[in-house]
Amino acid sequence: MTSDIRFLHRENAVFASSPGGMLSLRVDDETYPVVYLHCSFPHSEPERYISVRLPDDKEVGMIRSLSDFGGQTAELLREHIRIRYFAPAILSIKSIREEFGYSFWEAETTAGTCRFTVRSGGGNVKTVTDKKLLITDVSGNRFVIEDIGKLSDREYRLVEMCM
Amino acid sequence: MKPLPDHLRTILQQYGVEERDVFAWMECDRDPDGTFRNRWLVLDAQYLYVLTDPRPVADKTFQGYVFPRSPKKEATVPPADVQVERTPVENIDSVFVVHLVASGLIAAKCPEEKVLAAFTNAQMREAAQFVRTFEKWKKGERPESRQDDERESIRACPTCGMPYPEKDRAVCPKCMKKHALFVRLLSFAWKYKRSLIWIIVFMLLNAGTGLVIPYLMGTVFFDQALGGTGRFAGQIGLVIALILLFRVLSLLFGIAYSNLNARMAANIAFELKANVFSAMQRLSLSFFQQRHTGQLMTRVNNDATDLQYFFVDGIPYFIVNAINIIGIITILAVLDWKLTLLCLAPLPLVLWVVRRVFPKLWRLSWRRHRRMSRLNAMINDTVRGARVVKAFGKESQEIGRFQRANESFSQVEQSFNKLGATVFPALNALTQAGGLIIWALGGYRVMHGHLSFGDLMSFIQYILMLYGPLQFMNNIVNWWSYCMSAAQRIFEIQDAVPTVVEKPGALHLEKMRGDIEVSDITFGYEPNKPALKHVSMRAEPGQMIGIVGHSGAGKSTLVNLISRLYDVDEGEIRIDGIPIKDIAMSSLRKHIGIVSQEVYIFMGTIAENIAYANPDCSMEDIIRAAKIAKAHDFIEKLPDGYDTMVGSGGYALSGGEKQRISIARAILHDPAILILDEATASLDTETELQIQEALETLVRGRTTIAIAHRLSTLRNADRLIVMDRGQVVEAGTHEELMMTGGMYAKLVKQHYEALKMKGVG
Repeated sequence: MTSDIRFLHRENAVFASSPGGMLSLRVDDETYPVVYLHCSFPHSEPERYISVRLPDDKEVGMIRSLSDFGGQTAELLREHIRIRYFAPAILSIKSIREEFGYSFWEAETTAGTCRFTVRSGGGNVKTVTDKKLLITDVSGNRFVIEDIGKLSDREYRLVEMCM
Repeated sequence: MKPLPDHLRTILQQYGVEERDVFAWMECDRDPDGTFRNRWLVLDAQYLYVLTDPRPVADKTFQGYVFPRSPKKEATVPPADVQVERTPVENIDSVFVVHLVASGLIAAKCPEEKVLAAFTNAQMREAAQFVRTFEKWKKGERPESRQDDERESIRACPTCGMPYPEKDRAVCPKCMKKHALFVRLLSFAWKYKRSLIWIIVFMLLNAGTGLVIPYLMGTVFFDQALGGTGRFAGQIGLVIALILLFRVLSLLFGIAYSNLNARMAANIAFELKANVFSAMQRLSLSFFQQRHTGQLMTRVNNDATDLQYFFVDGIPYFIVNAINIIGIITILAVLDWKLTLLCLAPLPLVLWVVRRVFPKLWRLSWRRHRRMSRLNAMINDTVRGARVVKAFGKESQEIGRFQRANESFSQVEQSFNKLGATVFPALNALTQAGGLIIWALGGYRVMHGHLSFGDLMSFIQYILMLYGPLQFMNNIVNWWSYCMSAAQRIFEIQDAVPTVVEKPGALHLEKMRGDIEVSDITFGYEPNKPALKHVSMRAEPGQMIGIVGHSGAGKSTLVNLISRLYDVDEGEIRIDGIPIKDIAMSSLRKHIGIVSQEVYIFMGTIAENIAYANPDCSMEDIIRAAKIAKAHDFIEKLPDGYDTMVGSGGYALSGGEKQRISIARAILHDPAILILDEATASLDTETELQIQEALETLVRGRTTIAIAHRLSTLRNADRLIVMDRGQVVEAGTHEELMMTGGMYAKLVKQHYEALKMKGVG
């Protein structure tokens, strides 16, 4: 099966951080001052098959795996993926109160203590892989529990009633 | 504009900026490094300031979260710590929002692109507003943001900060007191007060007659009739007759209230569903598009059923059970208060077990419900997709998928049953422990002559009668919150305000000429994603305007706005010189007809479907319309002709047949303005040609706005408008546009090349 995917790797592409904090790309002889990274599998394989796109949404190419790039570039790309897919990971759950069709969460996350409100129903708390749980609050902010198996019994009981 | 926080005001003053000089400001709450950090963007006539508090925010409360206690005071920011960076506005070409997943960046082009700040999703609207203000200022217009601020401020409850479930409904469910809901529900029941009173009377009589029986079977039968003392000494026959009489009376009262209840239940369910359904119909299209069909159907059905339980099982049983408990305990206390206290001794233990175990049981039942839903969804999926499954030969894979879902359901089902099978017998045993105490102590008291044998028998039966009502009362908290949630959801729909509202005193137009003028409109379904930007167009009466462009160019959005399914954000649409916001909805619906790609055939006969817009028309009108729409011949071929039942469960019409029915519907509607939204897009070329003829007849004498993918269908258009990314990029006649050699000419070329390819194929 032939493919028309243009893969970017260390031989043909150079990524750099622009002075304004944007990600820029030089691929073969073309230069793109701003590119954005879109993960094809943000939950199951966040570091593989990353689409590199222009502001007008045209795809420049794809990165098969971050490991196709050297340490520094891979770290730069990882940083830009983190910027795009910002979702504090929940480390522990202090409380979840359910009232009138909403659940009010208080949790310790990788970005500090977060208190947020989730509308019940409608798939706002859903498993996205076997282990990972994605929680979307009333404003559309995202939080993740990387491994629901690692929650304590008490935490799991609280979370389960919102799923 | 919101007032500036104190620390910002102080810092800006150091730069000679007073609050009155500020056009716009916004708070950005996240840092690209993955933490929360506060950064403020402030715009005045000369500079765009970026103020950064270097300390990360370790404790973040998002919009909508209600504190259990009083909210913590915001930590003050020492002005000296805040880093300030400012860029002259003249050096900035533009400011724009970069959409990330669930958050955003605000960036500037000066001229290279630069990230100014990052923010979480709640700030998206504010960021869009900031960008708009900047654009206006850059264009030399005086920014005016007050209106949007007002709109923003009504999106969350001022008391608790919780966002309203419906953004246009300024009622906070949290602050809406439960008792207020209860009173509102009761007012609904007021209509059925007569039935309700009779039901309660019969329930009380049923309970009262039932309460006499244990006394007759215990004290009266054993102590008096058999023991030869008291009024019923030796009268076994009479006592049995009395027991029978009370049993029959209790049964009759039971039948009476059940019958009344059944009638009231059906009436209430009917009325609640009708109420919710009609409340929904009055809402704007955006309400339906924001919600899943399934969710809405649940509201009409399940929530109405839950509320039906409130009236039918809730209120009457609560009253009766409360009276039963009081009655039984009083009788027991009169018979022997010491024994009463003793036999109620295991009760706290029973309640404790119930409180401890029932939540677990409830959780398991919830898990079971979820897995069951998943299993059902899977079955549904496979059955619907049977053709694909067979075509790819994936039956065994589907069996495997089903087995996994089935197994996970079966596991939780087993856990649930196991726990249930342990808890309920244990509870029974505990309950019976009360009986054992009575047997033991009561027996002791009988032997010592402190209690009669008959009283003991009555006692045991009363105790057994007591546990049912007590269990009901124990579950009442769950039941209450369940009903109140359903009530709240239903009232939410009833109270929701349509987003497109008719002005008071709107004009009713008997006739419409069909002169459409769209001037400089901007509109977005979401706050900062305009689907249309500064679009203008004109259609004179009787003209046909063709709109072309790639999918997602905003063509359908434009016609949705002309027919006022949504309201424009900026600019104005006029019909016959009158702004459409001043025209009554009924006039707009009457004079604007839509034939779209999505044809909906309602359940009913073909004739009813054609006559949908005008149910009073004659049969001849229906046939004439069908003839013009080229539908008559295929209808005549059907065994049931115009009486053929179509829609869900009826005769399956083909895409072309459905489309012809919808054209016939539009012909009968006879609108002055006709909108053809990709009316023939889903049809094959031959069917399209037939329908094309029908459409040509239909458009005659009406202002028509036609959207079409296939450019050949627009060959009769007087003018063409070419749209791209929400903007009008070209406009003119076919010839004019071909001459300019722009986007339209390119589209035409592509179109004919595609046709040629088809010809070769």
